[in-house]
Amino acid sequence: MILTPEIVTIEIINAIFVVFATITFVISLRIVLLWENDSYSPLQYKLQLQSYLAATIIKFILYIKILLFIFFVYTLDNIATLLPGAMCGAGVVNATVYGTPLLFLKIINLYLFAYWIVLHNQDMHTKHQKYIRLKFILFIVVYFLFMSEIVLETLMFYNIDILKVVDCCGSIFKTTDGSYLSSILSISDAIMLKLFYALYGLMIVVFFFKNRYIFSILNLLFVIVALISLITFFGTYIYELPTHHCPFCLLQRDYNYIGYLLYILLFLGTFNGLVLGFIDFDINTQVKKYKFALFFNGIYIVIVSYYVMSYFLKNGVWL
Amino acid sequence: MIKLLNVSKRYDDIIALKDVTLQFNEGELIVLHGVSGSGKSSILSLIAAISKPTNGEVVVDGDTISMLPDHFASVYRRDNIGFIFQRYNLIPSLNVSENIIIPLIPLNLTQDEMMQKLEYVMKTFNIEHKRDVMVKKLSGGEQQRVAIARANVNNPKIILADEPTANLDKKLSLEFIEVIKELKSQNRTIVIATHDPLFFDLECVDRFVKLENGIVVS
Amino acid sequence: MKRFNFYLLEYAVSYIFRYKSKNLFVFTILTSLIFILGSVFFLAESIKNELHFSVDGVGDIIVQNTKAGMHTTLDDTVVEKILDMQGVSNVESRVWGYYNFSQNNIHFLLLGVDEFEVHNNPLIDKVLENVELNDSSMIVSSGIKKLLEKSYYDKYFNFILEDGSTVQVQIIALLNEIIDFEANDMIIMKKELAQKIFGFENTMVSDLIIKVGNPKEIPMVAYKIQEKFPNTQVLTKEDIVASYEHVFNYKSGIFLTLFIVGFLTFFMIVYDKASGLSSEEKKEIGILKALGWRIDDILQAKLYEGFLLSMGAYLLGIGIALAYVYLLGAPFLRELFIAPNALTQDFRFSFTLDYETLFLLFLLSVPIYIAATIVPSWRVATQDADEVMR
Repeated sequence: MILTPEIVTIEIINAIFVVFATITFVISLRIVLLWENDSYSPLQYKLQLQSYLAATIIKFILYIKILLFIFFVYTLDNIATLLPGAMCGAGVVNATVYGTPLLFLKIINLYLFAYWIVLHNQDMHTKHQKYIRLKFILFIVVYFLFMSEIVLETLMFYNIDILKVVDCCGSIFKTTDGSYLSSILSISDAIMLKLFYALYGLMIVVFFFKNRYIFSILNLLFVIVALISLITFFGTYIYELPTHHCPFCLLQRDYNYIGYLLYILLFLGTFNGLVLGFIDFDINTQVKKYKFALFFNGIYIVIVSYYVMSYFLKNGVWL
Repeated sequence: MIKLLNVSKRYDDIIALKDVTLQFNEGELIVLHGVSGSGKSSILSLIAAISKPTNGEVVVDGDTISMLPDHFASVYRRDNIGFIFQRYNLIPSLNVSENIIIPLIPLNLTQDEMMQKLEYVMKTFNIEHKRDVMVKKLSGGEQQRVAIARANVNNPKIILADEPTANLDKKLSLEFIEVIKELKSQNRTIVIATHDPLFFDLECVDRFVKLENGIVVS
Repeated sequence: MKRFNFYLLEYAVSYIFRYKSKNLFVFTILTSLIFILGSVFFLAESIKNELHFSVDGVGDIIVQNTKAGMHTTLDDTVVEKILDMQGVSNVESRVWGYYNFSQNNIHFLLLGVDEFEVHNNPLIDKVLENVELNDSSMIVSSGIKKLLEKSYYDKYFNFILEDGSTVQVQIIALLNEIIDFEANDMIIMKKELAQKIFGFENTMVSDLIIKVGNPKEIPMVAYKIQEKFPNTQVLTKEDIVASYEHVFNYKSGIFLTLFIVGFLTFFMIVYDKASGLSSEEKKEIGILKALGWRIDDILQAKLYEGFLLSMGAYLLGIGIALAYVYLLGAPFLRELFIAPNALTQDFRFSFTLDYETLFLLFLLSVPIYIAATIVPSWRVATQDADEVMR
């Protein structure tokens, strides 16, 4: 069991989240069950007002969650110095069985909360609030995912054993043992790269045809391919080491914290792309979202490609 | 054009309005008169979408404003209504210009746009020279001018005034009437709720509506 | 992206100043909490850093001898055997210990040096470049000099040996005039002299500092040494760092846990204060609504208000904490972390700004404050504007 001040801080804020999310959950249930758009009853009026509270809380949770996520990543790195064998966050994530699902859940929840807010903004623009029920059903689902995330996080912190040796990222991201991860990582670089750039090219094409569903799917594929290619290919050029495949070490000072920038860009780009598939925006907003997606994803591509090209130009060979 | 269709309004146990149907056309100056408690203020607050009717509908320019959710009602009010309250409802701890721009703050205007609107109403209603004075230090007449300026700062189509001359002497009341005449000449729809007899024989008034216990009587 | 609404921000600022008294109370409490917590963290960080620095000067592995589970001296014949091990690049044998200055019941740190040896701590080498020690001279730090002067020892000091006899040692230099480092107070003297004062045989040393050529091999070498000399305690640099970090985290953790109680109370106070609106405030909000402010607009103004207040308290709290720790040396608080010792009164912490700690303190102040104001702000924003009409 580990109790650094960072962990205590995270848990305090998690406690606040639990209280507020549960309040919002109750409000969501009431709205989903009792909302009547055209009624003038005092109950309807109350629900209307409570929906404001729910929206405010959800916005609050998202914004703090983003800060907390950055802090969480920072904390993982911090704990790594206390765990024998861990050199970066990857070791900590792997130290317990909860680490990896927690990370995935955190990322998914970020997307979901952001989606909720976009949906909410759309809803507020319509005179009859046509998304109201959808919004709150969505939140009910998100609530369970969010609570799971907090439980997993607490379990993880509780179960980290500072006496147990953990693997460092070198051995976690190896391509040679028989694990699931290694089989993904050993897909040939050439294929990954072709997919990576092709997806972006397709995105540009689809932008001209304005098919939002395909665009959205492309973004989903893109984020997956981008992450895999970052681990297997681009990361090695950032580290200038063909065997260093870790997605966490990018976040350290040694590499100018480039990891934060890359992940933020990837999130902003793919989120804007994904959300197009779920909400029917008016044409102006739609175009904006297309452009944001292409812009942020584009900069991501430029940066990772830059590392590769600059290595090649400096050294005359590929890794 | 303002329409009240079978509107009833009830506050707890008090029935303020009973099945009222009225129509006001654009550019008209209407005076609602009756003793206090007869429902005049309620009509004003319904037109301003500050309150919702217990029954019936309020339709303004084709939009059923009585059914609008709060955020739309507020936007409607902000864009279309200029309200002069009975006790002015100025914020005493702010100065004149700060009070006047209050309705504009949520609009996120540029500084130029803001200043332009502010200067215009301050000049029009002759309160420019007191722009930095705290409102609680102003005389009654000056406060009224601030209230009028504030009501007009966003160029609303509809002006509503609740007992505007209740706290004024005759001279200032007449000044107010001049202001109203000026506003009418700009083709605004003006509804005044009052029991001040000064209004009763004004030629510029298009309609008189008498209210008694929540029912239209004339 | 929409343009930022400065007028709304301005309104929020004016609102804070117009309804001062209620806000002042909360502001003061938050600032105080941040100040205390910040001081604790800054202090802990500083001490950790000092430790890192001093641990850095210590080689890669420390070997100490134990007898009956307690630290005892080592025979330096062991040095050869360890030097022979693969991977070991240097072994330094140290003689050091504490001399009990029984007049004041204070312990001096005595460090024995040998000018022919390679020292792991480059500062020692620097000292020896400038001063030549002989069998009866020593270099002292300023704190010790002051203490000796109090007991009327000016140019020398008489150490009392185990057998009761004394040996006079001249003070030939002051430590901080040679090197810049504000070291822990200590006395540097020749190894043989230190051994004499402690009553060591001349083959006995306090511990060994081992330098390993390839840092990756440190754990392996440490393991081998432990195997070969089972009675010794073999600690790698990482072990030491980790154990200190652990202690500090533990101590700061206790503080933090205590503060959870503090913050809970704080939360309740803020909630209460934010909910209790004066009639003037209620009227103002009602007027805003009547003039066309949406619930969202009012909530946003309230958010700005909360953010400004908590941010202000945070910055002020941090500022005072920084001044308290780095300018004043954290009187009273330091007693909790460093054992009170007359020698460390003048100890000044070197300024280190740890962004992670600042981030942590931020997370403990601003989000919590805003969370406490969410429900009250909502209540305020959704009150009926109708009331304003009456």
